[in-house]
Formats: sequence, C-alpha cells, structure tokens
Amino acid sequence: MESFFFRFRNQLVLLAFLAAQIIGLATQVRRSDAGRGAVDTTDGSGVRLVRLWANAVVSPPERAIHYSLVGIQKMWTGYFDLRYVLQQNQNLTKTVDQLRLEQAALLEDARQGQRLQAMLGFQERYIYSTVAAQVYGTSGSDQSKVFYIDKGSNDGLKKDMAVISADGIVGKVRDVFQHSAQVLVVNDQTSGAGVILETTRIRGILKGDAAGNLEMVGLLADDRIKPGEKILTAGGDLIFPRGLPVGTVLKVVRDPDRDSFIDVIVSPAAHLEQLDEVLVITSTEPRFSADDQNNIAASETLKGPEVEAQQKEAQQNQLKESQIMAERLPGLTDAKAAPDTTGTGQSPAGASAVPPAPAPAPKLLPALHPDRFSPSVAKQSEAGQSGADTSQDATKQGQAPQAADEERKP
Amino acid sequence: MSLLGANFRRDLEIRRYPLIVYALVPLVSLALQAWLPKALGRISPWILFDLPLVVTIYFALGRRSPVQGTIMGAAMGLFEDALSHHAIGLNGLAKTVVGYLAASVGVRFDVDNFLIRAALNFSLSLLASGIYLFVYRFLLGMELDWRWLAELVKAVDNSVIAMVLFPLLNRLQIRD
Repeated sequence: MESFFFRFRNQLVLLAFLAAQIIGLATQVRRSDAGRGAVDTTDGSGVRLVRLWANAVVSPPERAIHYSLVGIQKMWTGYFDLRYVLQQNQNLTKTVDQLRLEQAALLEDARQGQRLQAMLGFQERYIYSTVAAQVYGTSGSDQSKVFYIDKGSNDGLKKDMAVISADGIVGKVRDVFQHSAQVLVVNDQTSGAGVILETTRIRGILKGDAAGNLEMVGLLADDRIKPGEKILTAGGDLIFPRGLPVGTVLKVVRDPDRDSFIDVIVSPAAHLEQLDEVLVITSTEPRFSADDQNNIAASETLKGPEVEAQQKEAQQNQLKESQIMAERLPGLTDAKAAPDTTGTGQSPAGASAVPPAPAPAPKLLPALHPDRFSPSVAKQSEAGQSGADTSQDATKQGQAPQAADEERKP
Repeated sequence: MSLLGANFRRDLEIRRYPLIVYALVPLVSLALQAWLPKALGRISPWILFDLPLVVTIYFALGRRSPVQGTIMGAAMGLFEDALSHHAIGLNGLAKTVVGYLAASVGVRFDVDNFLIRAALNFSLSLLASGIYLFVYRFLLGMELDWRWLAELVKAVDNSVIAMVLFPLLNRLQIRD
C-alpha cells in the first residue's frame, strides 16, 4: 500500500488538487433563473475572503510600480517639461471664461427644466457627489475586463456604484475592499447597461464581446439607426444616471443568432484601454450639488460688461435678421402702413420693429352642396347681398340655397 | 517513448534557488501581469501574455518535480483567478495541469534547448487556454465568446517572453 502511494504520488497529488478546485468551482457557480448561461455572479463570503487576500498580496507591489512611475512622470512634467505652461494657462483661462458664459446662458434653461419636472412630478437625478480615483492595475486576464482603483470603503465606495470618466461611462464597482475597489468595465462579456439612442430614442442593452468591443444587443432591425448617432445611458438600470455619454454608433450588423434582430457596434466615448483616473458616483440627488450651485453663482457674478455687450450684440443681430426676413416676405408687411422713419427700426421698448401685419382673412372654399347652414350663405344673408364688391362665387353660393328651397316646396 | 536513457535522466540537473526567489519571482510576475496590460493597453491590444504561466513552466522545468510543478501552477492560477471577477479555480485548474505536465516533460526530455523551450511554452499556453475554455463552457455550462486567434498570439508572445526570461532567471539559481 505504501509503495502504491509512493509510486503514484505525483498523479495522486495532481488528482487531489484538481478535485479540490473542481469542488470549489461547483460551490461558487450558482445557476440563476434567467436561463442558460446566466449565473449568479455574487461572491460568497469565502470567495470574497480569498479575493481580499489575493488583493492584499498583489496590490502592494503593483501600487509600488504604479506610483513610482507616476512619481517620475509628475517630476518630469512638474519641474522639467514646463515649456508651454504659460501658453496653456492662457488658453485654459480663455476656455474657462467661455465656459462660464455658456453656463450662465444654460442656467435659465436648466432652472426652467427643473421647475417643469417638479410640476410633472418627474424626478431627474443629478450627479451629486463623486470620488476621484486612480487606476493602478487590472485583472491581468483578457477574459476578465476589470481594473482596480485606489479608493475603497474608507472613501465611501459601495458595490454597484457607477464609474465614469470625463468622456463617458466606464463601468461599475463590483467589489469593494478597505483601500481599493474592483471595477467591472462596460466592455466585459458579463457587463450590462441600459442605453438609449439619442435621436431615435431606441433603447437597448449595452454589453461587451470577446474582443472587448462594445455592442448594443436585442434590437429589432431599424433603418433609422445610422453610424455616428450618439448613445446615452437610459437610467433604467439603477446604476448609471440618465443621459451620460456612452459612445457613438460605429456600424450595424445582423444578429447571427436571431433573424430580424441587429447588433449595434459602439465606439465608446471613454478610452477604456487608457484609463488613468476615473470618477465614482457616490450619490445622486434630484437637485444641483453645493459645488454646482457655487459654480453657477460664480458664473452669475462674473457676468460683467462683457456678457452684457454680447447679449446686446445678439439682440441687435436678432433684430436685423427679423427686419431682413420681414422685407423678404411681403405677405407679412402692411403695404399701406407708413414707412419706418426711425432708421433702425427699433421700437423704444426694444421689441421687433416690424409692425404686426393684419392677419389675412381665410378664404373659404365654396361648399359643393350648400344649404342655409353653410357659413358663406349665413354671412351673405346677414349682409343682404348688398355691396358692389360681392364676388361672383358668393352670388352663386347665394343662389344655390334658394334653388334648393324651391325644390323642397311641394 | 522516453528519449533519454535512465543514466542521463539521473544526471539531469535539478536547479535550486534561494527561498526568496521562490517567493518574489511569482509575486512580481503576478504584479506585472496585473499592471502591464494597463500600461501597454494604449500601445496595442495584440500584446497578450501570461507571465505567471511562463514562470510556472520555468520552475516546473527547473525543479523537475511534478508535485512542485502542480503546487506552483495551482497557486499561480488561483491568485490570477482571485484578481479577476470570474470563479476561482478556472485558471487554477489550467495551470495545475500545465505545471504537472511541464515538470513531467522536464524529467523525460532535455529542455535546455531554446527551441524546445519555446515550443513547450507555445504548446502549454494553448493547452492552458483549452482547459480554461473547457472548464468554463462544459464543466460550468456558462457562455463565453472565445477568440482562438488571440490565444495563438498569446502563445507566441509567451514563447518569446520565455526565451528572454529563462536565461535571466537562470542567473538566480544556486550554483554548487
């Protein structure tokens, strides 16, 4: 017996390891009710512990490599490579000024939208607070599109929080540790997000394929879907807030498994392979955050003479355009009205200089079989058919009911 | 089937390493495997590799002990699984078999030749991919899209990495 174990110890060790891992797999994978291939992906407490240990072992050297390179990079860009900083600063200042003007202009629309939503009882959720995090590593497997960020439960992160970048959505938090978190990227095969096409308003599910491409699946063939159309989050998955950019339609292909269905290949808005920093949406609220409100207040206070001058210029341009339009459309001007002597055409109130033209009277078509209830007949009877300018049509129409009355007489 | 005689097999060198090498090299390979795709992702999506697999094959070939190859493969695979979001044991099973086979081959063949090492890495990489797919699809019954072209590229990349890495790791062994 002893010789048997000694002789086949290699094979026995191999079998023991294989059996242990197969049993471990069997305990982890639980079938869900969603059909074949659908499994419950939530980790049990034991599995989560193993992941925690693995992360605790691999994360420190990984972070050391990452932060060393980031440090070198920062040292280079912060101290040595400062050649274009002044020019960049000027350009950025101009951009910020321009954005503040645009923000001020959009503010009123946003407030009006909020008021209308409040009236309709519709609760739009704004991104209220985010946590910025650095990406320091991946799973290392091309079958598992996940990455690790340097913020965890200590920073307020929780499972299933949305992760975005400045360009668009990135993924969702899958697992949270104390000082790090695992993020499942939207282009993973097991990922999913509710999305909507911007113009056609067609909804679908976004998922990844084996090559890491994004695709919108489960769509009926529709000619309106064209390459270049923008795709936004639909907000129905309770992870991503509504209206975040997802990407654009790259091409439309037939679903290989189902006739009359199509797959939309999507070019992602975020650079999913080049992520350095991401934002985790930690809470959403049906109002602007304090930071947003401060920004808006700053924009309003910064509305100085420059903005007023721009607004006046815009008003004047609008007036000129309306004048030109009025001249080109004679039907809208009263030929008998006195010519405008002010030159500018601007009324004291600043309203449009074009006097309101009298609305042209609608010309009614003659009824085929008029009777006394026909409007033209009623009008004519009121007028007593007097007046030299009565049209011939009206005369004919007036005669017709009389003939009809005569016919009805016994 | 054995190509080598019994006397030659006995004379095959069993490489030994300081304990710290056994601890650090696998750890660094796991850390680099997790970090490099992020750093290289912007260069090309076709740079695919599996450093823990290469390191497993190296130690299995060097130690020429199927038991140690099995343990090393299982440990590396389980660590990789734990860092991914898939079930723990998928890579573990694949690398356990690879570690065992590499050590078994190392006992029977002279694997110091560069070409043999490259061919061994290529074939064991493909085998690991095949086992992964088999377990995922057939053992667990889950759906998974698969690109064999990517796996071929990964196998080639692993062979190239092995040809560079093996001589470097040879320098770490204890010499009598």
